[in-house]
Amino acid sequence: MDNVVLGVVIVGSIGAIWVVLPRIGALALWRRWRDDRERHLAEDALKFIHAREWRGGRPATLEGLAGALGLPSRRVVFLAKRLETRGLIRSAAGGFRLTIEGERLALSVIRAHRLWERFLVDEARMPLADVHAEAERREHDADAAKLDALETLLGHPTVDPHGDPIPTGRGELARVESRPLTDWPTGQPAQIVHLEDEPPALFAQIAAEGLRPGQIVRVVEATPERLTLSDGGKTFALAPVLAANIFVAEAPAAGETVSRRLTALRRGETALVGALDQGLQGFTRRRLLDLGLTPGARITAELPSMLGDPVAYRVRGTLIALRRDQAEQVLINEAEPASQGV
Amino acid sequence: MTNNATPAERLLAQADLLRQALPGDFRDTLVQTLYHEAESMAEKAVQQGGRKRWDWDSTVDRLLTSPIFGLPLMLAILSLIFWLTIAGANVPSAMLAEGFFWVEAQGVALFTSLGIPWWITGFLWDGVFRGLGWVISVMLPPMAIFFPLFTFLEDLGYLPRVAFNMDWLFKKAGAHGKQSLTMAMGFGCNAAGIIATRVIDSPRERLIAILTNNFVPCNGRFPTLIMLATVFVAASFPPALTSVIAAGSVVTVVVIGIIFTLVISGVLSRTVLRGEASAFSLELPPFRRPNLRQILYTSLIDRTIFVLWRAIQTAAPAGAAIWLLANIYVGDTSLAWHVANALQPLGNLVGLDGVILLAYIIAIPANEIVVPTMMMMYLGVGMMTDMPAYSEMHTMLVGQYGWTTLTAVNLMLFSLLHNPCATTIMTMWKETRSLKWTTLGALGPLVIAFAVTFLVAVVARAFGLG
Amino acid sequence: MTEDCATCPANASLAQMGVDVSNFDYLIALAGNPNTGKSTVFNALTGLRQHTGNWPGKTVTRAEGGYQFQNKRYKLVDLPGTYSLLSASQDEEIARNFILFGQPDCTVVVNDATCLERNLNLVLQVLEITDRAVVVVNLMDEARRKDIAVDVRALARELGVPVVAAAARSGEGLGDILAAVRDVVTGQASVQPKRVQAHPALESAIRDLLPLIEQAAPGLPNPRWVALRLLDGDLRIRQALLSGELSEIAARQRQAVRGFSRKIALQGAQ
Ligand SMILES: Nc1nc2c(ncn2[C@@H]2O[C@H](COP(=O)(O)OP(=O)(O)OP(=O)(O)O)[C@@H](O)[C@H]2O)c(=O)[nH]1
Ligand SMILES: [Mg+2]
Repeated sequence: MDNVVLGVVIVGSIGAIWVVLPRIGALALWRRWRDDRERHLAEDALKFIHAREWRGGRPATLEGLAGALGLPSRRVVFLAKRLETRGLIRSAAGGFRLTIEGERLALSVIRAHRLWERFLVDEARMPLADVHAEAERREHDADAAKLDALETLLGHPTVDPHGDPIPTGRGELARVESRPLTDWPTGQPAQIVHLEDEPPALFAQIAAEGLRPGQIVRVVEATPERLTLSDGGKTFALAPVLAANIFVAEAPAAGETVSRRLTALRRGETALVGALDQGLQGFTRRRLLDLGLTPGARITAELPSMLGDPVAYRVRGTLIALRRDQAEQVLINEAEPASQGV
Repeated sequence: MTNNATPAERLLAQADLLRQALPGDFRDTLVQTLYHEAESMAEKAVQQGGRKRWDWDSTVDRLLTSPIFGLPLMLAILSLIFWLTIAGANVPSAMLAEGFFWVEAQGVALFTSLGIPWWITGFLWDGVFRGLGWVISVMLPPMAIFFPLFTFLEDLGYLPRVAFNMDWLFKKAGAHGKQSLTMAMGFGCNAAGIIATRVIDSPRERLIAILTNNFVPCNGRFPTLIMLATVFVAASFPPALTSVIAAGSVVTVVVIGIIFTLVISGVLSRTVLRGEASAFSLELPPFRRPNLRQILYTSLIDRTIFVLWRAIQTAAPAGAAIWLLANIYVGDTSLAWHVANALQPLGNLVGLDGVILLAYIIAIPANEIVVPTMMMMYLGVGMMTDMPAYSEMHTMLVGQYGWTTLTAVNLMLFSLLHNPCATTIMTMWKETRSLKWTTLGALGPLVIAFAVTFLVAVVARAFGLG
Repeated sequence: MTEDCATCPANASLAQMGVDVSNFDYLIALAGNPNTGKSTVFNALTGLRQHTGNWPGKTVTRAEGGYQFQNKRYKLVDLPGTYSLLSASQDEEIARNFILFGQPDCTVVVNDATCLERNLNLVLQVLEITDRAVVVVNLMDEARRKDIAVDVRALARELGVPVVAAAARSGEGLGDILAAVRDVVTGQASVQPKRVQAHPALESAIRDLLPLIEQAAPGLPNPRWVALRLLDGDLRIRQALLSGELSEIAARQRQAVRGFSRKIALQGAQ
């Protein structure tokens, strides 16, 4: 009997000690978890307000904020009050606006988010549709030194994989003029500059179509039910809701000549490398360039393997095997028929 | 920038500013400029004659990498190599063994006539020397045939074609196509295979290659496989077919190893090493005529002698250990059999026996000595004066120690899957510098080996086999 | 030079010294694209048996060996093959760091005669870093088999450094390599390496950085290259600069090489 009591006392006191222990105790852990969650919410709120101001300059409403954060408005009111006392936001006609300090913080979170997206796509090679969610998680431990290192590692990218500009370490954010594809005139070449990544379901569909920022497309036909696009080789049929989430701008003149992708080259055919897709960045891009896949290089498809992936191409006198995903990102031009191999 | 910035900091700040002003694609343009220059130089200095004789190369290439024939040809080449190894090694192995036993007999006789105590004679001749003799006669002939053949293929330029043919499988497993190159190196020695993983750029895929290299049976393990395949699997076929069947079984084991590599790689890249297959670019160099002298040197001196020397270094102490264990009696049983009996239930559970497990424990430093250790236990140290022929071995193991086909199959599986040897584990540590991954690489295979042999045993017994 | 040179006068004074690299007079680096025969050249000169194999990436660790030629001792370092010095994969980094910071007295760039265009891309990058270089056009036997003729004189004129034709496996051209290396390390060869003019925007950015580099790391042998790497945002070079390593590293690397341990060479030969 005594043993039982003693046991309970010992276990109980160990438990109690663990609860109040300074850094690893249950209380401390809970507090840290709560603080983190609080901070994440605050950062998400700042980001949302920034996005509203950035697109159209209107302040963020309470309802909008509540919807974006998935919180009841009662809690959003609390949150807003705390942000206001911290000098990060201020109330304005019809909602909230960022203060200078708030904007700085918002930009640093956005910078973290977009750099992580770049990392996830270029180096970790995650599918484009998955990176947004993962970057949402990673953006919150944005220690400036770590971000600088990340930026350098990635070779100082200027846009994220969705085509959005990445804020600089000094908090400058370049503005890219763009219009939704639904507003773009038929027949005129346009460069995709931004793919809206919210809501995720729509974005996943766009990504699955194979549309990427940097790509040059043309609206072939626009009906109320369907928008038909062409990138010169492939055609895409999009519902208007999807097209409205694709933002485009004037295409640079040179980009137009590129018409096909390396995967379209059949065995024995020769073409000239046109450019590497803008979606291809980081180490992989450099490696392909180093191997001699620079614009103007002659490339011949020589050996397909099982299932046609990889394929070995002859370029600059050597046979290089590339997986389909890489070949997909090499744009090619027709080789002028007259030229003979030297 | 503040005034007290160091020159280095000022420089970096300036570089950052300038970079932002540069056009976004300046890196591409830089490489382009270099290639442009290279092109114009090559144009001036290189003359391609009209005579093109290299169609032979591309014909062979088209065959070896063919979507239809590529993989079957690869298996055929692998089988041929193993067949040559097994068929060629059989006789020299037996001759070597006979020679060693003859020397041992003479040595024992000499020592006895000199009046040296029995335990010194036993320890030196029946322990240390017999361990050495076993290892050399079991390992030297197969290695001396296998390594030159393999190096020949390597020098010819066949390995990148294998990587090319198998890439789609590795891509499915979320791994890198060059992993097959590192596996090919693993045939020689898993430690070398692990060092070779440096050709893989992505750290994630490199780790996968390191962790799974063990599933390629290295040369230390081939003798075990060859012996089992010859003694058990091939024994029930006509003698003329023995080496063909044995080679077939070894190839089967290797293919099982490849399947395990792919499955485990896939599991890793969906769990602890999550990620998509990264970019892959592999140069397929033109075939080159192999240089026979270099091949013989590399394969015989560097590889064969190196592996053999390592085996000898561990075989001598292992032989000594076995002799001691077998000759120190506690009660009326030797220490060795005490241990083996203690391991018996576990061994039985996975379709093996206590002696085999004991042999594996003693062989942790080097896998090469598993078979010798096992045989020394079974044969009873100091009682046999002649190495049994394979047929006698079969009779003895089946008749006296209750081996079944299940035992042989499971032993082959266990040998394929079990934990890497000490050298390999050390290399894993050196290459990863991570206790976590080294532990996983060392113990993961052990768990898998036990699980697989257990399952096979359960299924086999359910069907009344074994 | 097409005849087998095992007996010609230059070769007569070659003494292979295996792993003995004590008290060397000159440090020589072997660089080049993967699978061009660097290890074969290394073996031919040192008498060592580095593993060679017909696939890119066979050598992944640095190996060292020595030879003696006309009473001078040379230490030869066999590096992993690289396609470029611009990207930073792990094995390429070993090579790059050695050429950059090891300050070899001569860098021998081994090339495949059957695909010179790709190889020259790397040669040009090496020449950005150092002007003490010898270009070896190896695998001439393969080139002849494929009816490809290489005019090494023209190439030498273009590149501004000595160019030697060779077939290392049969020993062809080894004597020429030895002589060319000797000429470069002793300053007898006139070298005026080709420096590729980058496009104007980049070139002016490089010029802007040069004086700052001279301040931050005085006496650096290859400031142009460092400027380029900084503009590219090379993390390693940045760190090396901030930690003061960049100015120190040259001295340190030389020390490490002199205090050479036999063990490393043996491991490398493995
Ligand atoms: N025919 C011919 N073959 C050569 C010659 N030099 C080298 N080889 C072969 O080319 C292949 C590659 O040679 P290595 O010396 O391993 O090349 P490496 O440059 O060290 O390659 P990495 O270590 O992978 O960068 C080997 O199979 C050599 O036997 C040559 O002059 N003629
Ligand atoms: Mg090499």
